[in-house]
Amino acid sequence: MSAEIKAGPTEASDPGGVPQKRKAALRRFFDAATISVMPIYAFTLLFVVGPLVYMFILSFLKRAETWGVLREFTWSNYTNILKPVYLKTFYESLKLAFFTTFFVALVGYPFGYFMARLSATWKRRMMLLLMIPFWTSSLIRLYGWIIIFRANGTLDKILMGLGITQAPLKLLYTYSAVVVGMIYALVPFMIFAVYSSAEKLDWQLVEAARDLGATPWQAFITVSFRLTLPGLLSGVVLTFIPSMGLFFIADILGGNKVILVGNLIQEQLMKARNWPFAAALSVVLMILTSIMIALYRKVSGVKDLEGLV
Amino acid sequence: MKKSKIPSLYLGLMLALMYVPILLVIIYSFNESRISSVWGGWSLRWYRDLFRDRDIMDAMTNSLILATVSSLSAAVIGTLAAVGMPRANLKGKGIIEYLSTLPIMIPEIILGMVFLVYFALIRLPFGMVTLAVAHTSFCIPYVYMLVKARLVGIDKSYAEAAKDLGATEWNVFWDITLPLILPAITSGVLLAFAMSLDDVVISVFVTGVNTNTLPLKIYTQLKTGVTPKINALCTLMFAATMLIVLMSAWFAKKSVRKTERRISSEEASGIRNSVGLAR
Amino acid sequence: MKKLLGFAIVLALLVSLASACQKTPGAPTTGEGPQDKELNLFTWEGMFPEEVLARFEDETGIRINYSTFDFNETMLAKLEASGGSDYDLVIADDYILEAVISSGLAQKLDLSKIPNIGNVNPIYQGQFYDPNNEYTVPYGAGVQTIVYNPDAVQIEIDGYEDLWDPSLKDSLGTIANHRVINGMALKVLGESYNTEDLEVIEAAGRKLIELAPNIRVIKDDNLQDDLLSGEIDVAVMYTSQVTMAKLANPDLKVVFPKEGIGFGIMANFIPAKAPHPDAAHKFIDFILDPEVSAECFEWLGYYCTNKAADELINPDYRDFLTLPEGFNEDMEMIRVVSAEAEEVHTRIWTEFKAACGQN
Repeated sequence: MSAEIKAGPTEASDPGGVPQKRKAALRRFFDAATISVMPIYAFTLLFVVGPLVYMFILSFLKRAETWGVLREFTWSNYTNILKPVYLKTFYESLKLAFFTTFFVALVGYPFGYFMARLSATWKRRMMLLLMIPFWTSSLIRLYGWIIIFRANGTLDKILMGLGITQAPLKLLYTYSAVVVGMIYALVPFMIFAVYSSAEKLDWQLVEAARDLGATPWQAFITVSFRLTLPGLLSGVVLTFIPSMGLFFIADILGGNKVILVGNLIQEQLMKARNWPFAAALSVVLMILTSIMIALYRKVSGVKDLEGLV
Repeated sequence: MKKSKIPSLYLGLMLALMYVPILLVIIYSFNESRISSVWGGWSLRWYRDLFRDRDIMDAMTNSLILATVSSLSAAVIGTLAAVGMPRANLKGKGIIEYLSTLPIMIPEIILGMVFLVYFALIRLPFGMVTLAVAHTSFCIPYVYMLVKARLVGIDKSYAEAAKDLGATEWNVFWDITLPLILPAITSGVLLAFAMSLDDVVISVFVTGVNTNTLPLKIYTQLKTGVTPKINALCTLMFAATMLIVLMSAWFAKKSVRKTERRISSEEASGIRNSVGLAR
Repeated sequence: MKKLLGFAIVLALLVSLASACQKTPGAPTTGEGPQDKELNLFTWEGMFPEEVLARFEDETGIRINYSTFDFNETMLAKLEASGGSDYDLVIADDYILEAVISSGLAQKLDLSKIPNIGNVNPIYQGQFYDPNNEYTVPYGAGVQTIVYNPDAVQIEIDGYEDLWDPSLKDSLGTIANHRVINGMALKVLGESYNTEDLEVIEAAGRKLIELAPNIRVIKDDNLQDDLLSGEIDVAVMYTSQVTMAKLANPDLKVVFPKEGIGFGIMANFIPAKAPHPDAAHKFIDFILDPEVSAECFEWLGYYCTNKAADELINPDYRDFLTLPEGFNEDMEMIRVVSAEAEEVHTRIWTEFKAACGQN
């Protein structure tokens, strides 16, 4: 722990002469902790910052007539985003993200909360059962939903068999199908987040509240809910952010009719060949994402996203 | 506390719903008919086809190698960073920490595209190398976050006591810290492994000649028509996933309970105070 | 910070060193020529039947490494990234070939190594992307076609215009190519696919918005499944999908739109720095063999570009795989337009999809 104590003064200012300074610097460099973070510094600088800087630069370049980019500065990729249709895409993405997040919270919060109250053995089993679908190829799981939703598919057969509906519901390629797909893909993030925070909850507190005359509902609101709020908020962030960028779900279950920023980026890259515009869209999306995370930190007072996994 | 049936019912129902799509894929892998909307009776022919398909088997090998390499590199880089970060004397720690998590925060499609151009720029040959670098980049955050979270729950007094007794930094790490964080590393690695095994969007861009991966194969085959062969493949993958998950559970099993108790006692004291104040 | 940079450079060196040591399968071999034992083929999934590839390997002793891409654009990006040195033979769409050739990423073919070149149907040669047939050999062609289920559709459909009919509400599926679908509206307005007149493209966009209520799905892959399962009643599809749909349900009606026909060709080319150009030439020649060609096109479901193979195609398929008479007049190929026009195209396309999502 000696390094910790030294950190303050050496960082701030060193009135000592050059040799001493160098010595301190050397010691700092060869400090075990410093060496151990070198790989992540190097990797991040080389393989994350590098590409991102490139993306940032790209977003200010001009597209070439048919293919590639010209080395000319322009703001036009950003002003282009201000066109009504692209603003609307951002709005639609936000709307769907809100929708998704709301339902995910609705479904996932009780799940995570109830799960935290299980016995240790069941908690572990539950965790496993949750992880298995989460770990299976996401494309395949989407394909499973097609089997369910398509005309005369599983759901239609069940409903018609029970006499609830008479004709196929035409559920595939609707907004609802996309929302279901989104919830399905993202609910585990919420569950894990809520669970990890509910798990730390001291149930004796809830009982204490009850003993003091609180109704179960009051006890939940004043104690449990308040204490699991960081987990819920973390789940909200972890659901909200990816739901802006997932384009497979909107493509496969939505029949390409629900356009999200992710789809727009994909299309700009793969169909319109407008890389700078795609980069600009990504930069804006990244800024939005970062604002979300910063907001989360401010509101919840927690530095890390809980239950990232 | 009174035991209500509602929670268990809810959990059971939701879990069942989560498994329905997977179950259907598994059932349809035994479908004799080529057209997925027609049920042609039970059959194993797609499994036979699958094992004859040289490309798919090659892709499977590639995927396993890739997932192993990238999740293990991520384990080394992520663990070292999580352990060293709080005590390292370097500037910009917060920024590096934030930046290193970006690969799982920004849309994969753009990441794939910039990787492609950037790798060409720094002249990395496309193939396993580029795939491994790209996959490692999004594997690191998982390991890092998990290990970091685990470290919070570990009592610092062990390490300090060891140091007072003359242990070197290395000894402390090897003999005390590492065993304590091993479960977190393991779950991180397994999670990263699964993520690598599922990645399509980034891989499409950075793959090279002869380095088809399994998800890429699935993706391109789904594009040309859903054959039951893919369902069969997915069923096998599902089985493999189960195996991995069970293994991870086995690893994580023992230490989970201990930390639970420690964390909750720490937190609880703080929480109790705040509740006391509110009252 | 300097130290960090130093460290980063060291790591970069290590990585590149490691990668240099690693054996790259596509790396140029010392002596090129007849001893090429590998062929790095780069195209979409499912372009050749397994048996044809296996036979080529058996006959020549050349191992095929089949790599796939999902979009033409991915292919060009990768080709550019490696300077065209990873792959030996690429099959892609016409419009992208223009960009490939103009970027100098393709090499001239040595026709003396392709004795079967005479089998190619001349209709598909001399196109805009390669007017002198120096770089490419066509492999399959397609047109955008309307297919519908006469049992479920009340009206008679003979052109794009009919797709706007209100009776088709929520029952139309289209491929997800923005130029093809925008082009439908352009054709209805009596314009060219490749117009550079921004006002005209905007007008097509407005026309397209009116189509939105009829759209049920927009997707490139497996659209025929939706037609077969009854998810949609009418579809605008690629030729291979039409073939698959017709084979599964012969009652479906196929319409070549009266407004004009959008036409596309896929073709082989050899990248500029292909490591095994000899193997590539051999492969091109191999698939130009009439019998092999017939087998390939039956499997692929696109129009046969090999005149000598037309005869050999199974009669059940022949109608789908050979062009009907008198097709030449109305055909137009979709080409890359100016950046401004492309920008309007993508914008009206996005507006169209947004409108589809509203109902």
